Amino acid sequence: MSEKVLLARVGREDSRSIDGYLEDGGYAALRTVLTGGWTPEKLTDEVKRSGLRGRGGAGFPTGVKWGFVPKDTKGKPVYLLCNADESEPGTFKDRLLMEEDPHQVIEGIILSSYAIKCRNAYIYIRGEFYLGARILVEALEEAYAKRYLGENILGSGYSLDVTVHRGAGAYICGEETGLIESLEGKRGQPRIKPPFPAVWGVFGAPTIVNNVETLACVVHIVNRGAEWFAKIGRNEKNSGPKLYCLSGHVNRPGVYEAPMGLQMKELLFGADYGQGMKDGKNVKAVIPGGASAAMLTAEEIEDCPLDFDGLMAKKSMLGSAAIIVMNEDTCIVDAAQNLAKFFSHESCGQCTPCREGTPWLQRVLTRIEAGEGRIHDIDLLEKISNQMANGMTICVFADAAIAPVLSSVGKFREEFRYHVEQKRCLVGPRALDREFVTA
Amino acid sequence: MSGKTPITPGGGGAIPGPAAGGSPPSPPPPPPKDTYTILFDGKPIEVPRNVNLIEAGKLAGIEIPHFCFHPRLSVVGQCRMCLVEIEGIPKIQAACTTPLKEGLSVKTKTERVVESRAANMEFLLINHPLDCPICDQAGECKLQDNSFGYGDQRSRYDERKRQYAGFDRTMIGPHVIADMTRCIQCTRCIRFCQEIAGTGELTFLDRGGRTLVWTHDGKPLANDWSGCAADVCPVGALTVKEFRFRSRVWYLKKARSVCPGCNIGCNISIENRDSIVYRFLPRLNPQVNDYWLCDYGRFLSESLNLRDIEKASVRDGDAAAETHVPGAIEKIAAKIRQTVDSTGPAGLFFLGSANLSNEENFLLRKIADHLSCGNRDAVVDKSRLRRMKSKTVWVEGDHAGPNFAGAKDVGLSPRPGSYGLEDVLSGKARPGVILVADAAFSQIADDPEKVAVLRRAGFLAVAARTANALTRAADVVLPAASLAEKEGTFTNVQGRVQKFERAFLPGSSVRPHWELLLLLAVALGCGDRNWTPADLRRQIQSEVKGYADVTEEELKGGILMKKGTFVSVGAI
Amino acid sequence: MSGRRYRVEEAGRPAEFPPEALARIERILTRYPTKQAALLPVLWVAQETWGWISREAAEEVARILEVSPAHVDGVLTFYTMFNLCPVGKNLLQVCTSISCHLAGAGRLLERCKKRLGVDLEETTPDGKFTVVEVECIAGCDRAPSMMVNDTYYEPMDEEKLDALLDKLSADA
Repeated sequence: MSEKVLLARVGREDSRSIDGYLEDGGYAALRTVLTGGWTPEKLTDEVKRSGLRGRGGAGFPTGVKWGFVPKDTKGKPVYLLCNADESEPGTFKDRLLMEEDPHQVIEGIILSSYAIKCRNAYIYIRGEFYLGARILVEALEEAYAKRYLGENILGSGYSLDVTVHRGAGAYICGEETGLIESLEGKRGQPRIKPPFPAVWGVFGAPTIVNNVETLACVVHIVNRGAEWFAKIGRNEKNSGPKLYCLSGHVNRPGVYEAPMGLQMKELLFGADYGQGMKDGKNVKAVIPGGASAAMLTAEEIEDCPLDFDGLMAKKSMLGSAAIIVMNEDTCIVDAAQNLAKFFSHESCGQCTPCREGTPWLQRVLTRIEAGEGRIHDIDLLEKISNQMANGMTICVFADAAIAPVLSSVGKFREEFRYHVEQKRCLVGPRALDREFVTA
Repeated sequence: MSGKTPITPGGGGAIPGPAAGGSPPSPPPPPPKDTYTILFDGKPIEVPRNVNLIEAGKLAGIEIPHFCFHPRLSVVGQCRMCLVEIEGIPKIQAACTTPLKEGLSVKTKTERVVESRAANMEFLLINHPLDCPICDQAGECKLQDNSFGYGDQRSRYDERKRQYAGFDRTMIGPHVIADMTRCIQCTRCIRFCQEIAGTGELTFLDRGGRTLVWTHDGKPLANDWSGCAADVCPVGALTVKEFRFRSRVWYLKKARSVCPGCNIGCNISIENRDSIVYRFLPRLNPQVNDYWLCDYGRFLSESLNLRDIEKASVRDGDAAAETHVPGAIEKIAAKIRQTVDSTGPAGLFFLGSANLSNEENFLLRKIADHLSCGNRDAVVDKSRLRRMKSKTVWVEGDHAGPNFAGAKDVGLSPRPGSYGLEDVLSGKARPGVILVADAAFSQIADDPEKVAVLRRAGFLAVAARTANALTRAADVVLPAASLAEKEGTFTNVQGRVQKFERAFLPGSSVRPHWELLLLLAVALGCGDRNWTPADLRRQIQSEVKGYADVTEEELKGGILMKKGTFVSVGAI
Repeated sequence: MSGRRYRVEEAGRPAEFPPEALARIERILTRYPTKQAALLPVLWVAQETWGWISREAAEEVARILEVSPAHVDGVLTFYTMFNLCPVGKNLLQVCTSISCHLAGAGRLLERCKKRLGVDLEETTPDGKFTVVEVECIAGCDRAPSMMVNDTYYEPMDEEKLDALLDKLSADA
């Protein structure tokens, strides 16, 4: 079993308090950087060399993103926004980090804010995380009390304020510009890019949005070095420790930490991980990266390293590393309908293809699922999907929404055909059961 | 230009060159280009730097279909109709959000662009109701136009269309009816209220496919320009109540005119059919009213259809007898001659109006001058302050009529030693003959006490369209045309002279005011029967100070446009 | 909530924030460079004060933050966690996204509705329960996951649900 880095302190009795954190060597990275003469540029460079890629879903190299902040901001402040909106179905790692080891996240925020010369940082945490928000607020108060936040941190001259800002129920506010709009007190409708947030973000100022897990990694990059981080994982392009969220029909769902590139089958079946399929059923399909990732068949997960490039090679994505496992009794049409309902509910409604396309997909899938499908509906699902994304929309929500539809229809076409022709599920306990269709 | 000095041939030699020790000054660097060269489907065109790519396309003669873009509103890139291919960028891009740069190459006719337009139209139509047969917007509907131009004929949608019970065919303000089933969520109306009107009544509610536009309960769409929200709506989601079901727009003729509501002089189009005015639409004039028209002015349209006075009438004792216009004019002329012969021209009083054109007020003053009568005047009621957003600044006016400035410019003020309306109303002056060229010149004409004062004159003649206390008291009433039934010019608060065209000929014996005054001028020997308003304008140009430079081109003013669309003329 | 969010209901009485709430709002305003940015936190204060956000409360928030009431409406209706009408003492939020769905959330939801005798987004006549369907609440490894007001209850099954509802019904 590999060393736990991000989850090292989870489960300890004093994991939330600052005293417990300090005892375990916490805020050492902060000392190193602020009192050890690290410039923001040196820190950014260290993060660049570590190969850290964003853990929110997009996988963009973090150090490179930080470098997009203009050298001369023309008097505008720079903002760091911690994206704690975690709403991708199947994802629950940030919730764990914030609830169980908040100071790791806070230290990561302070370090990253320093790197981009930010004076005011916000933690945008989804409204449902009442507990996480309370824990963070308490932890922040502890940090202020010990002078790790506020004016002149550790006598370094660097000052930072961090504010917890609660969302109120909108998945699209996890999109960085949707988050920015929401923070400005508006509807969370994503912005047109360019301009990119690093140049024109919240309040018209340069802004960097980073995921909770990404920020936590920064602490360890400082403590143990970029080279150490880069060596973890399959290669430098996919480096560092990674949190995987396993859910679905496995014996032991949960958050698991492993070096980037853990094999899918190990995660599902390994003794340290999922411990195999519940009731000994077979795998039918796996969603490897949250609802926005294309489904993989049981064959496709045979040799499937769980990192950015490994899943790209399988024409899917690591995304938020939310692995959702579906067994042989799962009706794929039902799963696809459920995912289409999610995207239809969460579309912000700004632009035409997504606003109109996501409910259309949901309605067609609902009909097919309910036994009212027609044979051309299956092709229609693909046609609708193919005219919704790839630049048609302002943001990539539409690209996310079509992934489950295209992958399920593409890989499980017979099941859809069965639903149309036989008007019921091919497999599963609901093969004859009509009761629980939620539209 | 690098600014290098020219190289002079070195060494000796008899080559003429600049004097030793000096060099000719380098020519000044050319001013930085304020245009970009853009390529549309391979063809280059130079466009101003400050236009949107959609406008640039229009300049190049390329139509880039759109809904949410409007040249005066912020760019949101939401409708996704304007998607084009940009060379060097792999994904299709919204033209409206693509910044211009030198050498930008836009492709509008590729298969991907064609498909994206058809796809977008399909998405827009799947929930859109088949309302065309009952929708006022038909004929000036962007959705129809773009569907016809870029969409597929067939529908693949087999599900229920989205409904908005309670938000369809419902008043959203005093003048605007909203039907959210038709809305395509382009946010033009929201942005108009936020950015131009500054009142922010409209907002999106809910999200996703359930999104609609509405107001906060208790704060209806009631700003001074609410009709413009219906103008900018590209579909029939916001329509004007006053126009509902009144006419199909393709039957309407358009006449270039100027709003008679106040002295801002917004350019309007009088939309008419069969001698009835159906509505006003704004005409685009960036210097005056830009794309906009206030509700007060817009809804004066109906008032142009009111007519109480059809024929000339002459009072005989207590009764008024109808007569024909030349006869009535002759009666007035005779009375004037009689007065001049007996008591002299001081017994005459000529009253013009802020509602009359420059040509008409000018002719009235000409008649007075011919009779050596210095007693002439024009007054205007004050109204509440009205404001209009031109392209750059807010224009303000507080006159209840459009042409007080013009009336004064052409000389309708008492000469030194003569008297004006105030003197007449106060009793200081007692004219024997009063000619009121426009009986609706002010509220005074409806005030029985003031009319009684005017009635003290031995002879009172008016030209009128609608009845009021003054017309009922007058000895002679001439039937006068409405704004829609004549042509002329008004001078607005900015000093801008603007022409209004005739929409249709008046019926029966009704004549434009200028024609009535011309007949009188001819009868009195100071007018030529053949004069047209253009002739009168030429006389104004040569005789009235400040009007020499007004050209026919300038007079034309704003541009006709289809409701809700935009017209690009150079860099506007 | 999966239903439509168009109407912000009237409370029928003016909304005056109590002093503690006003003090919180003052503190909140110091953390943002614009008043409008404080809109979501202030709306949370309103919801914590009254349990829901009425039209009067929306207008009061608009007044304090100097934004138009229409803007507040736009934000209120966009975010599903703001209650636009009074809700029961216990707001039962059952997740029906994919992982919970695979674990039987549908049955859990039906059981809720059946036991309480209400449909989605309806409140029981005694004012104790409102049932809503929510999207993924990040409890996927403890599926099926649900929340009651601000507390997670996970993993749930029909027995645990019955026990929970019994307990909550008994509480005054």
